[in-house]
Amino acid sequence: MARITLDTGDTFDCADHDTLLRAGLRAGLGLPYECNAGGCGTCKVEVTSGEVENLWPDAPGLSDRDRRKGRVLACQCRARGDCTVKVRLDPACVPLISPVRCKAVLDGSDDITHDIRSFRFRAEGPARFLPGQYVMLSLSDGLERAYSLANLPNEAGVFEVMVRRVPGGRMTTRLFEGAVDEVTLDGPFGLAHLRPGERDVVCLAGGSGLAPMVSIARAVAAEGSPRRVIFFHGGRTGADVLDVACLDALTGLGPRLTYVPVVSGEMVRGLAHGMVHEAAQAWLEGTMDRFDYYCAGPPPMMQALETMLVREGGLPADRVRFDRFF
Amino acid sequence: MSETLTDDIVLCRASDVPEGGALKVELDGRAPLAVFRVGGHFFVTDDTCTHGDASLSEGELDAEDMVVECPWHSGAFELATGKPCGAPCTIPLKVHRFELRGGDIVLVA
Repeated sequence: MARITLDTGDTFDCADHDTLLRAGLRAGLGLPYECNAGGCGTCKVEVTSGEVENLWPDAPGLSDRDRRKGRVLACQCRARGDCTVKVRLDPACVPLISPVRCKAVLDGSDDITHDIRSFRFRAEGPARFLPGQYVMLSLSDGLERAYSLANLPNEAGVFEVMVRRVPGGRMTTRLFEGAVDEVTLDGPFGLAHLRPGERDVVCLAGGSGLAPMVSIARAVAAEGSPRRVIFFHGGRTGADVLDVACLDALTGLGPRLTYVPVVSGEMVRGLAHGMVHEAAQAWLEGTMDRFDYYCAGPPPMMQALETMLVREGGLPADRVRFDRFF
Repeated sequence: MSETLTDDIVLCRASDVPEGGALKVELDGRAPLAVFRVGGHFFVTDDTCTHGDASLSEGELDAEDMVVECPWHSGAFELATGKPCGAPCTIPLKVHRFELRGGDIVLVA
């Protein structure tokens, strides 16, 4: 156990296995972050005294200039002893639900598309998270990945993730081959969770970004409001997207659901064609300001959506929610 | 003044911008701008980071790379082009054309 002191004067304890970022969040501090996985670069800090173990010195979230200036990613560092750390806290990152670690066992799985499968893990205690958040899922050998949750928080302790089979992917291969029974979950994390609101909601999902968008759509369905959900889901082929009956069954939105599947490969009769942001732009023409937006998908899609909605569309950033993963 | 004759807007006196520093310029009806001075060169860009709501004129300047680093998450942009060159920034920063006229930094429409 190490004692971490921030230049703001805040202090927290960091357990031996824990990273600076997660320990700080557990202590209720708003350490800035998005991906928790070394990619986004939001959690850069300077360690001004003490020593840290850098789990991934070459992480893409750090530039050479960052390295030259001695910056590290809080999500990739363990304390080797007491440290002082320079960071600018962000009130928006103070966790509404404190992240905790728990063991969970595989409780079932279902195919969602030809290459996306839902896995349900059951923990001892209740499953506490906000729709749209993610957990870090790790195996006994330490292999760890971030997965967004697809279900709703529940007392039964069930965490549902949706995993896309990546050929040769170390985690996905083991999950899909049934080699995983017990996992450790750490979370929840992430800021792209559903907020209350008056406006209808647009969900924009690409690939396995489906999971958090399904969770958000389920939460809208479960709340007493009349909010509608316009749900875009992009894939390469018709087999990559869902049919509306399937999404309706998953979300329970009924007549409050409008589903727009989008394929970017060969044209499919009856489906929108192109990238998700292009289909959304065409659909939203002139009505962009009427909705709140939630997005999850690969980085180029997130960048295109941020450009379209915030930079060019002029929407305030707090109406377009997403976490950057790389 | 020239403002009445053309659409060009005087942002500041060049001497108002400290070497190795920046000046935030707020004009009615448009996003705030930042005027940077590095190694004797001037640059004018949007002041607000494209990643978060932070003021780049409060950021750190890197004279060697001609880069400004956002004070919030240390994301970075090339001053000359606005190209993002440090995570978490991914969207280019708007750079603005300007001229030095009689000691004034003048935005060119």
